[in-house]
Amino acid sequence: MLTGEELDRYSRQIMIPQIGEKGQEKLKRAKVFIAGVGGLGSPVSIYLTAAGVGHLRMVDHDRVDLTNLNRQVVHWSGDVGKRKVESAQEKLNKLNPNVTVETLSVTLSEENASELITGFDLIVDAMDNLPTRYLLNKKAIEHGIPFFHGAVNGFEGRAMTVIPGKTACLRCLYRGPVPESKFPVIGVTPAVIGCIQATEVIKYLVGSGELLGNRLLAYDGLNLKFTEFKVQRNPQCEHCAHI
Amino acid sequence: MAVKVHLHLTLRQFTNGQEIIDVEGMTVGECLKNVVKKYPGMESSLFGKNGKLSNIVEIYVNLQSAYPNELAKQVKDGDEIHVTMMLAGG
Repeated sequence: MLTGEELDRYSRQIMIPQIGEKGQEKLKRAKVFIAGVGGLGSPVSIYLTAAGVGHLRMVDHDRVDLTNLNRQVVHWSGDVGKRKVESAQEKLNKLNPNVTVETLSVTLSEENASELITGFDLIVDAMDNLPTRYLLNKKAIEHGIPFFHGAVNGFEGRAMTVIPGKTACLRCLYRGPVPESKFPVIGVTPAVIGCIQATEVIKYLVGSGELLGNRLLAYDGLNLKFTEFKVQRNPQCEHCAHI
Repeated sequence: MAVKVHLHLTLRQFTNGQEIIDVEGMTVGECLKNVVKKYPGMESSLFGKNGKLSNIVEIYVNLQSAYPNELAKQVKDGDEIHVTMMLAGG
């Protein structure tokens, strides 16, 4: 049930036929796991909080650094040195006290990932490295939890939604290890991709629209162009071939 | 077969900014070899020392993933190959 305050707060999105009060109640009941509170995690968490997703669990082991502030907009100058999850929680609680923002300043690992994601409706990939992305993908597949992938570099980004057992997963496209390196990025890029991920999450939760399943949406910010690539499940995929 | 190859942003440094390259080839592999013939500086960005595609490279033919065995995929007149890169940042 939505309170009077919630009916008011969300009135403009409740007007959207694909949402309505029923959809808003679905958002309120939802539990979303967000892996990473950086460039992607910032817009994802801000917009899901604004939209009234009832429960967010946010995981990040980092502290805020000055070099983060060109893009990680949930963190501000006075937050440098703070744990990212604490910095984010403070802002998100002020943005929307109706949302439970649970935070864990831990490193995602093979040992803890299953426990951390259990009970959540979906996982948002807001990571900054491939190995942890693949770990989350694997766990998402194992637990049958939809996985919302996003990634950026410079003015480019990409997004894809994984529905375990139904669509291609991130590992379906795996070719082999890639050396890690510091990546260039400007804030507007994860802003776009993070908002696309948040849009996908909302659509999934309210059950409307067409998700980016078997569709890799590639964004070119320099030319302001989106390209949609079709991907398919890999029958030899190490993560999802068996389901 | 006359094919258009769309190059990822980072590869355009080798083509003076040109995004789309017209080449001939019967397979994706031949087409990419012919692109590299025109722009040899690109070779190490596309291929590893063993001649296989670099792990970071993704190939789409007519917007459809060509993975796996991308290089062996046959192409026909008018096909479009996109060469893009996996992204990892967040």
